[in-house]
Amino acid sequence: MEKSKKRIRIVVRIEVTTLINRDGKINPRKMDRLAMVLSNLNNSGKQIIVVSSGAIVLGSEKLKLPSIPPSKTDMQALAAVGQAELIRSYQRSFDEYGQIVAQVLVTSDIADYPQRVENTRNTFDMLLSMNIIPIVNENDPVSTTDIELDDNYPLALKIANITGADIIVIKSQENGNYGIVPGNEKPVIPVENEISLQERIDALFSRTAPSAVVPAPVVFPATMKEIYSL
Amino acid sequence: MKFRENLRTKKRVVIKIGTSSLSFTGGRINFHRIEKLAQVLSLLRKNGLQVLLVTSGAIGVGAARIGMTERPRELARKQALAAIGQAELIKIYQKFFEEHNQLVAQVLLTKDVVTIPELNRNARRTLSRLLEMELIPIINENDTIATNEIEFGDNDTLSAIVACLVEADLLIILSDIDGLYSADPRTDPSAEIIHSVNEITPELEKLASGAGSSFSTGGMVTKISAAKICQQAGVDCVIANGSDPAVIFEILEGKKVGTHFIAGQTSSIPNLLF
Repeated sequence: MEKSKKRIRIVVRIEVTTLINRDGKINPRKMDRLAMVLSNLNNSGKQIIVVSSGAIVLGSEKLKLPSIPPSKTDMQALAAVGQAELIRSYQRSFDEYGQIVAQVLVTSDIADYPQRVENTRNTFDMLLSMNIIPIVNENDPVSTTDIELDDNYPLALKIANITGADIIVIKSQENGNYGIVPGNEKPVIPVENEISLQERIDALFSRTAPSAVVPAPVVFPATMKEIYSL
Repeated sequence: MKFRENLRTKKRVVIKIGTSSLSFTGGRINFHRIEKLAQVLSLLRKNGLQVLLVTSGAIGVGAARIGMTERPRELARKQALAAIGQAELIKIYQKFFEEHNQLVAQVLLTKDVVTIPELNRNARRTLSRLLEMELIPIINENDTIATNEIEFGDNDTLSAIVACLVEADLLIILSDIDGLYSADPRTDPSAEIIHSVNEITPELEKLASGAGSSFSTGGMVTKISAAKICQQAGVDCVIANGSDPAVIFEILEGKKVGTHFIAGQTSSIPNLLF
C-alpha cells in the first residue's frame, strides 16, 4: 500500500539527445514513444512532471543557423523560438494519447525565498491535481543569469526538491535506457525497457510504510557525474 | 484426440476484452495493453485468421477524459461519457493498429440486432464485408443511444451474440480472472481452474455466481451465460486472463490455459439466424 493516498510524484528529465536528432529536428518516433510511456504512467496513477531541454537547439535549426552563436542574447532569442517549437511538439504528441500538458517556464529565483517556493509548489500541485503534465524549462529568454547548456539536470533537481518528488527518471546517454533516481543517497536503478519502468516504479513503492514514520525528505544525487558513475 | 486439438484450426475468432484488462483502476487506458493487443491481433490477421474485437472501457475513458472520478449513476450521464470515451477509445485503437498497417472499423450495436430480422441481416452482411476486406471490426454496444441498462459485464453477452452473428468458430473472453474455478480461490486453497467444460449444468452456474464472493462481481455470471450461448450455437469459448494478450496465441495453439467451454455438436441458434 502506498503511503496514505498520496500519489507517487515523478520528475522526468529529458535531455536534448532523448528527443532531438543530430540535424536539430525532433525525432517524431521518440517523441511519440515518450508521450505514450508518460501518459501511461500518468494513467496508472502517478503524477508526472517533465523537465525538458532542447529549446536552443530547436531554435537554431528553425532559423537554419550553422551552429549555436555564443552570445547570450543570441541564445536567448533562439530559446524563445525553439521553446514554442518544443511545447507544440509535446502538445501534439501527448494529444494523441488524450493527455493535456502545460508549459511552465521558470527563472532561477523560484527557490530563493520560502514564499516563492510555496507559490511554485502550489502551481504544480494544482496542475497535477487536474491530471495535467507540466513541461518545465528554464525561462532563458528573460534570464538574467548565464545561459548554461547543461541539459537541465540541475533544474530537474530543483523542481524535484520544490515539488517534493519521490523519484527522478532519467534516460541514459549511452544506451538510451531509463534510470530511476530514488534519492536519499541510493544508487540509480537501471531499467531495461519501458514496460519494466512501470513495474520497477510500482515495486519501489509497494512496501508498506509504518504509519508512525514520517517519510524523510528525498535528497537526490547532486550531479550527473554521480548518476552516471553508478 | 489431443487436448484442445480443435482450437488449432479456427478460422474466425471473436476476442472480447474487458474493462479491467484494458484500463487502470480509475478508468484510464493502459496503452501498453492496447499496444500488445494490437500487435497480437494484427499478426493473427496477417496470418489469415479472421478477427473481430469486442471492446469495453468507453465509459471509464470518458469519465477520465472530463476529470470525473466517480462512476456516474444517471443514465444520461453514463451515455454522455460513453459517447466521449468511445471516440477516444477508437482513436487509440486506430493509432496502435496503424503501427502494424492494420485497418480497423468501428461497429456499434444494440440488442435490436438480435430481435429485428432486418437489422440482423444487415449487421451480418456488414461484418462479413469488413472481414472480407481484411479489416478488424472493433465492436461495442452503442451505449450512447441504448435504453437498456448499461450494465457491468454486458459485453460478455454481446460478444457471444457477435460470435453467433458472424458464425465464428471461437470466442475468447479476456478479463482479470484466470478461468472458472472449482471454488472461490480467495477463500478455498484447494480451488483449481476447471480446464474443460462439456456442459454448463445448474451446479456449474451456481458455482459461477458464488454467493457473496467478490471474485465473481457479477462478471463470472455473464461469462457463463455467454459461454452457454456459444455452446448452444456450436461455437467454442475460452475464458482466460487478459493481462498479457499473448495468451491468445497460447489458446489458439491448444495450450492448457483458462477454461474451454467445448462447443456443442449441433447448432441451435434459431433466433439469431434470419
